[in-house]
Amino acid sequence: MTQPLVGGRIVRPYTMTGGRTMTQSPPIALEALVAATPEGMRRRRQFRWEAAEIISRSRRETAVVELAALLAVPVGVVRVLADDLRAEGAVTITEPPSALVDETGGEVYTDLLHKVLDGIKSL
Amino acid sequence: MESSHSDRGLTPVKIVVAGGFGVGKTTFVGAISEIEPLRSEAIITEASADVDELFGDGTKTMTTVAMDFGRISLKHDLVLYLFGTPGQDRFHFMWNELARGAIGAVVLVDTRRIEAGFAAVDFFEKRGTPFVVAINTFHGRKLHSIEEVRHALQVGPETPIAYCDARVRVDVQKVLVTLVEHALDLASTGAAVN
Repeated sequence: MTQPLVGGRIVRPYTMTGGRTMTQSPPIALEALVAATPEGMRRRRQFRWEAAEIISRSRRETAVVELAALLAVPVGVVRVLADDLRAEGAVTITEPPSALVDETGGEVYTDLLHKVLDGIKSL
Repeated sequence: MESSHSDRGLTPVKIVVAGGFGVGKTTFVGAISEIEPLRSEAIITEASADVDELFGDGTKTMTTVAMDFGRISLKHDLVLYLFGTPGQDRFHFMWNELARGAIGAVVLVDTRRIEAGFAAVDFFEKRGTPFVVAINTFHGRKLHSIEEVRHALQVGPETPIAYCDARVRVDVQKVLVTLVEHALDLASTGAAVN
């Protein structure tokens, strides 16, 4: 499961991201959903390969971690590129809800858990 | 792959499946996922334990850590991601990243090696993440009673423990229902952290 990074890939991750790393703290969640915007779809060919692939693959909302697996690149690369694409208006990113940011006294989060429970029960 | 945009407005949620190496985490995920479990990699620098740091300063060892995950579309515009934690002990710091924002966790144990579940139980207890213990019976034998497992893992009576066969969809479904119900109990008493 573990391999040295150097020599393990033909293209190093920081080459794909132009040498940048994700600075947002906390970083974009693994399960955050990326969705291409109509503008992103229109301008898709203006982006380099990995970014263009992210747009194509997120015509249906697709999680950051899923994009990483589909593109066979590390999660951090998708985080940086998706963040860039969001700044360009090419994608939107939906972060997961969290009990920690529920300012309604937990009501919104509890409602969410009830919906998840119903959903799992009716699978 | 027609662009319909009819799927917009999904909310992502996450459940973590933890446990020792080889206990059946990916099997558990695969039993209920609508996709074959996928594997993705994060890059870590071991010196600082920073996840996803893409630069090396030449002094840190960089390695990749793999995690397997599956996806389940639920009604109510929800999509549930199930993440298997990396099994090796040296990747435990990755669990923080996985636990952040999670509804809760399933600690999968194999009664032949109960001690492999200690690290996960400790982690979720300390973090305040709701969790349940699922005893994988995929070897067809229930070598220990639920009370024996509870005692061995030193978990309190409030933590649900159940048998499951990680290969069987309905078993996995029951474990997930138990977890979300437990998370609801904790959320209504304000005890859960995610």
